[in-house]
Amino acid sequence: MINVLAMILAGGRVDELGVLTFFRPKSVLPFGGLYRVIDCSLSNLMHSGIEKVGILSQYRPFHLIRHIANGEPWDMVGRNRCAAILPPFKGRTESDWYKGTADAVYQNIDFINLHKPDLVMILSGDHVYRMDYRDLIAFHLETSADLTIAFTRVPVEGASRFGLARIDDEEERGGRVLEYVEKPKTPSSEWASLTIYLFKPGLLIEALTQNAQKASHEFGKDIIPLLVQGARVYGYKHHGYWGYTRTLDEYWQTNMDLLGSHPRIDISTYRLRTNMAHREIRDRGTAHLGRSAVVEDSLFYSGCDIRGTVVRSILFPGVRVAEGAVVEDSILFFDDTIGPGAHISRTISDVEVHVAGQTEIGGSPGELTVIGRGTAIPPGIGIDAGVTVYPNLVSSSFTKSRYVKGEVIQ
Amino acid sequence: MSDAVAILMAGGVGSRLNILVRHRAKPAVPFGGIYRIIDFTLSNIANSDITRVAVLTQYKPLSLMDHIGDGSSWDLSGRTRGVKILPPKTGEQDWDWYRGTADAVRQNLSFITSSEARYVLILSGDHVYSMDYRPMVAYHQERGARVTIGMITVPWEETHQFGTAIIDENHRIVGWEEKSPNAKSNLASMGIYVFDRHYLLELLTRHKEEDFGHHIIPQALKDGEVFAYPFSGYWRDAGTIQAYWDANMDLLNPESGLTPESWGIMTNITTGGMTYDRPPARIIGSGRAQNCRISPGCVIAGTAENSILSPGVVIEEKAVVRGSIIMHDTVIREGATIERCIIDKNVVVGENAAIGLGDSSEKNREFPSHLYSGLSVIGKQAVVPDKAAVGTNCIICPEVLAADFTRLEVPSGDTVRTAAEADALKAR
Repeated sequence: MINVLAMILAGGRVDELGVLTFFRPKSVLPFGGLYRVIDCSLSNLMHSGIEKVGILSQYRPFHLIRHIANGEPWDMVGRNRCAAILPPFKGRTESDWYKGTADAVYQNIDFINLHKPDLVMILSGDHVYRMDYRDLIAFHLETSADLTIAFTRVPVEGASRFGLARIDDEEERGGRVLEYVEKPKTPSSEWASLTIYLFKPGLLIEALTQNAQKASHEFGKDIIPLLVQGARVYGYKHHGYWGYTRTLDEYWQTNMDLLGSHPRIDISTYRLRTNMAHREIRDRGTAHLGRSAVVEDSLFYSGCDIRGTVVRSILFPGVRVAEGAVVEDSILFFDDTIGPGAHISRTISDVEVHVAGQTEIGGSPGELTVIGRGTAIPPGIGIDAGVTVYPNLVSSSFTKSRYVKGEVIQ
Repeated sequence: MSDAVAILMAGGVGSRLNILVRHRAKPAVPFGGIYRIIDFTLSNIANSDITRVAVLTQYKPLSLMDHIGDGSSWDLSGRTRGVKILPPKTGEQDWDWYRGTADAVRQNLSFITSSEARYVLILSGDHVYSMDYRPMVAYHQERGARVTIGMITVPWEETHQFGTAIIDENHRIVGWEEKSPNAKSNLASMGIYVFDRHYLLELLTRHKEEDFGHHIIPQALKDGEVFAYPFSGYWRDAGTIQAYWDANMDLLNPESGLTPESWGIMTNITTGGMTYDRPPARIIGSGRAQNCRISPGCVIAGTAENSILSPGVVIEEKAVVRGSIIMHDTVIREGATIERCIIDKNVVVGENAAIGLGDSSEKNREFPSHLYSGLSVIGKQAVVPDKAAVGTNCIICPEVLAADFTRLEVPSGDTVRTAAEADALKAR
């Protein structure tokens, strides 16, 4: 089989996700009641038989390192398999943080050369989708492309956040990329880049080496537009679901797409693997739904103890909802506790948040409310939609009985 | 605890569990949604820092071997830690089956002699409980005992199932009865023994009998220094259909004392070679669940009450499951009703079928001592046809297909077999 080396860009954070990325890069953001976002890419790789992976890390890597462990959860450990975390490093002559996506890969050219791959696949670690990369590889080989990029159709309004391409309609699977523009102000195409690049290693190294001399170091901005002019660059069209998790609304929506009788994301077809030792998922007892529990259209996992009402929500392992509490349209991360009589709606709450009884948090409709990890919210207070609550707050951090839209509690 | 090794007896048939042990040994029977019975003892071993374990298997060991794997689920794999699975092996005789617990240990003495441990724990893989064995070994040491036996007080009417001991004020055992119909004590053996290594080797060489309870312990009593170690927590044998159902239902009762998660019970979640992890459980549409234990991968569009659901169970719309234990990947089709059933893995219950409804006084005609309280049991991979009406105290054997139902109505107390099995039975 063809020797493909994958490199996952997993080190970034974004301001838009606020307190959720204070302590972790966005690639390890919890997703879907069990997983981390990066599990999608890793599981896709595993099911595609690509088991040599470099994971480029930078921002607060502890949870990423812990999650990846030795790669065993994705079968990426063995004689010819690996999941290697690649942090920025101090060199003999120079040392620096990764200056951009291209620079991150450039700094690890030794890693690429070590594995002598036939192809290098560069992926983003923060997208939710299912793809058999073998189809993409076959397309790449059949078209004798130098570089193949995966694209998905997005609505033109809002498309200006993405790298957009005009693709020659050669066949159903895709065709030659005629033009590529990164985040254009006025979008002229609806095909947005998924940040999945399949490179011939020689071309990749050459392009990275040239780019290293320049001021900007991004694949989308600097390298791809240049290569479209001089090399055989093909676009591969992805038709299935694609979830973006770069803003709170997108992150929330991508999770909500798991719910319903006919969910947009049919999770069983994704065959996702995660690290079941991370946060001791595997040692959790079965979920307990008490006599007073009312659970509608929701996901929950082992370790949950539900005695209240849960509607259209996603509960990660260890969440406890007391009798008389109501949780709706919300995402509660690992080991949150919701006290009796509390009412939570449209809220994303990070791990180990404790909400005391008789509180009222979030609102509908309205902006999402977000609570940082480890915060304890005292009884009886009201936190409206669109409030941000910082991590690790204690009762005395809350000086008011009601917080309104736009406030940041810290 | 580097001065003790554990030998776990996992060969028992557990025949009173009826068709639940048709394809697996009792320790491998699923329990509480995600566990198997042996997980309790294996986790106790791991949580007691005992790192060298032998599991003696005999009866239908494949499920068990698959489940134990390399032991890493219990952190029992590594340079100084390991689980050895020891089936009976060809000896001087062609095929030396284990003739009893003591015989099984005797055939594997090299496991003990090859270690430097001073103490040997002999444990049964049949029980649901949580116990730290370290204080028991310390107790054994302090008293200078040759043998220490874990013992629990049981109801008098159950004493005939156990070895029972009469003890003096120092907990020294002065009298022993094995499964006596008129026991003089209700202090029962839990099948947990701590032996001095040298004494055990010497005893098993000196005496050639087969069973610890029947033969070896009475011999040890003659040598003296045999002590009872009293235990008073939750402990269940789960060796009958009724006891098995009761113990599972204890998971729904916060007062029962059965709390596997807080006990630190570990299991192997990858058994069966799945290529992905089970997703979270989903309740969809008009689905609802109350007073239930629900495992990952379940999808509930119908109703579940007072039940234990293993991973991957599907309850379709308008189906109702009450007071039941449903094992892995079983599907309850639309409109079916299940009442007080134990349903094994990969069963399909057809649309609008009903199981377990009706008068529960009609005991199972073939196994009246197994099924008498109204529970019905459906074997692994059975298919119950659409609109079937199966009564109480019924047995649907493993792998029965819709065609094996000669009529849709199965009266209470009946047993349904595959055609091949029924023919074989007639021929006998």
